[in-house]
Amino acid sequence: MNNLKRNEPQVMPVEPGSIPLPDLYILRNGVPVYIISSDTEDIIRVDFIFKAGQIHEDLPLLSSSVNMMLTEGSLSYTSEQMSKKLDYYGAFINMTCEKDLAGLTIYALSRHFGKIMELSREILFCPLFPARELANLIKKRLQWYRINREKVQNLATEMFFESLFGKTHPYGRQAGEPDFGNITPGLLKDFHLKYYSPGNMTVIISGKISDKIPQVLENSFGDLQSGNVYIERSAAYMSGSAGMKLLLTKPGAIQSAIRIGSTSISKRHQDYPALKIVNTVLGGYFGSRLMKNLREEKGFTYGIQSVLSSLDLSGFTVISTETGSGNTRNVVDEIYKEISDLHTKPVEADELRVVRNYMLGQMIRMFDGPFALAESFRAVWQFGLDNSYYHRFAEKIKTISPDEIIELARTYYKTEELNEIIAGPL
Amino acid sequence: MVRFERFTLENGLRVIVHEDRSTPLAAMNLLYNVGSRREDEEMTGLAHLLEHLMFGGSANVPEFDLPLQIAGGENNAFTNNDITDYYITIPAKNLETAFWLESDRMTGLNLTQETFDIQKSVVIEEFKQRYLNQPYGDAMLKLRPLAYKVHPYKWPTIGMDISHIENVSLEDVKKFYSSHYSPGNAILSLTGNISPDIAREMAEKWFGPVESNPASEVAIPVEPEQTGERIITLKRDVPSDALYKAWHICKRDHDDFHALDLVTDILAGGESGRLYTRLVRKKNIFSEINVWITSDLDPGLAVLTGKLMKGVDLESADRAVNEVIDELKNKPVSITEINKVKNRFESSALLSNTSILNKAMSLSFYELLGDAGRINSEVESYRKVGQSRITDSANRYFATSNCSTIYYQSTLKT
Repeated sequence: MNNLKRNEPQVMPVEPGSIPLPDLYILRNGVPVYIISSDTEDIIRVDFIFKAGQIHEDLPLLSSSVNMMLTEGSLSYTSEQMSKKLDYYGAFINMTCEKDLAGLTIYALSRHFGKIMELSREILFCPLFPARELANLIKKRLQWYRINREKVQNLATEMFFESLFGKTHPYGRQAGEPDFGNITPGLLKDFHLKYYSPGNMTVIISGKISDKIPQVLENSFGDLQSGNVYIERSAAYMSGSAGMKLLLTKPGAIQSAIRIGSTSISKRHQDYPALKIVNTVLGGYFGSRLMKNLREEKGFTYGIQSVLSSLDLSGFTVISTETGSGNTRNVVDEIYKEISDLHTKPVEADELRVVRNYMLGQMIRMFDGPFALAESFRAVWQFGLDNSYYHRFAEKIKTISPDEIIELARTYYKTEELNEIIAGPL
Repeated sequence: MVRFERFTLENGLRVIVHEDRSTPLAAMNLLYNVGSRREDEEMTGLAHLLEHLMFGGSANVPEFDLPLQIAGGENNAFTNNDITDYYITIPAKNLETAFWLESDRMTGLNLTQETFDIQKSVVIEEFKQRYLNQPYGDAMLKLRPLAYKVHPYKWPTIGMDISHIENVSLEDVKKFYSSHYSPGNAILSLTGNISPDIAREMAEKWFGPVESNPASEVAIPVEPEQTGERIITLKRDVPSDALYKAWHICKRDHDDFHALDLVTDILAGGESGRLYTRLVRKKNIFSEINVWITSDLDPGLAVLTGKLMKGVDLESADRAVNEVIDELKNKPVSITEINKVKNRFESSALLSNTSILNKAMSLSFYELLGDAGRINSEVESYRKVGQSRITDSANRYFATSNCSTIYYQSTLKT
């Protein structure tokens, strides 16, 4: 074995191919349907997306409660009947409520597609928000909340967002126990009327899409009309602070959770693709500097990541990890050291080559198959962008220079502006 | 339909190739037929620790991840009771890099003291993060030894105790590696944009020269039949009480497996599962409840976990669960309900087969069970299960005398 020549095979350049554009079909009531078709298994994914996320709520828990109650009873079905039907047709349904968007994603067998669309119409447009089901949901959520408060990861993450966006803004506000008592069926109905309207809906459909599918959607959703509802603009303003350092104690914890980061630019900003690359160097893949230093060289943690994420009205970067007591201070110091290295030392050619190829490989994965394409499309559509964003991104991955990385790190990772939240023992 | 070709190299490595030209990528899955069930009781967690060490480079590869990242690839691995599984996705034109890396660490792994010490710390941090520093995190660590008295499934893959990981020596790891990592003990699956001919050529070139170690498997002790109910109570600082139950079931490759899987789906599959409908939705006894079966090579478990609502005591919650199970034993299930759970299985199989990586993993695992072709016939195996098989299986396996229960009691006053 050892006598054999086992030379490294030659590596071909990693190059994302062309990104197929979705077809756009507009229902007769104006609802846009983006269609991503591909010859795969007989299964179809539908994303129903509404601008109905947390950013629109006046009270904590409101948008997510509306979303979770959609399947809990409608004009034609009780919650039990609804879930029996969905399961009978082998549909997988995923309710989503994020900071900006909400809705549902559903996977349906092609042969049951029509039935599943009828049920989706019931879920999205005919919910009744029955008081008894709501009371149950709130009791359950309070219980989940109490369990989550026992996890250092949750404590740190929640406080991190509060420190970034402020106690009153929906991006930063934390729910407390008293908030659970404030959610009523009337509030849910009002929120639903305003934000789950056909005029506020976009559909992305992906998988094996036959010519008949748009007509099925037309039948299920084309007749719906939005009411004339006045939506007042939110008075919430962001009131976070930069450079905040907080230690949350958690009796009994044997590891602490660390979150370090700041607000940042959104995907609409021209620097965003380049900043994604800086983030990847720092902590965005298994070979990143943070991972190498703190896991592979020091063994201080099971994992450490750095994320850059875009919101509609802002964006943020966050470095997250958990570490055993005794190492917390060391880990925090090393995080700052890695950031400071980005400010001062040019990234060497070898490392940059790895990052470029890794990221280009990731781009191929992001467009592999109709469901991945649907997710990637949603991620730009959400910000009013289109696939040209990904072309710019690929170009930037290939051309970014070490000096640009230093410049970006100095602009967007200012040490004195980083918030540092630690939950657990020092 | 997942079409594939299958061949065995002279050294015993089984290779399966499924060509899918709809993607520019290829996936490589290498399954080793070794998991924590092959460990010594005094030295648990070894299989998983070795998985971590497999990324430390090998004879001709100074660093494992680096060349893969340069080739646009991504990879990871997992260990369970039965297997250790390594997987890669990569642009198909660079698949040979994956062959080079994966074949090199099959035989010439670098096991240095330094990497060893660091990865021990990483695994200990993993142990804390996933099991010790989480509310309810230790429940499964306690349920296994309650259900199993002699079989190695009584310890979890991460290890029975942190001290086991601390005490293991580099020599122990080397021995474990050389006795289990060998072409004859592995199954290689390749899926995606690659032809069977090229796959065969590359497999011969890279894995062909790897010498096979004769396997010297020690017999695994057989778990004696459980003949009486076991119940323990644990008191913990958690916000609410929780109930954990486990029943011994058959092994994955047994005639009853599909019927049992349907039984657990009737009980807890989706939001229309009986336990969710009755005990979460109607009676508000639990805030969440779940049941699943393990797909183990040796006889496994059906496991139930549930978190209780405030004000409900554990004994009555347990009784409510048993009532739902008793009904399943005593009354035939309607055809509609049976079709519902079969349809759910069909959907999830179809969804899984939309990913080349999932297909590669399934092909390796089904081949380990005896035939990779089961990737295509499993749906039919579920379809064939009749009404009486479901009732019979519920009666055979969900007996009280075959059950272990943990009352996980909250000591927090909230």
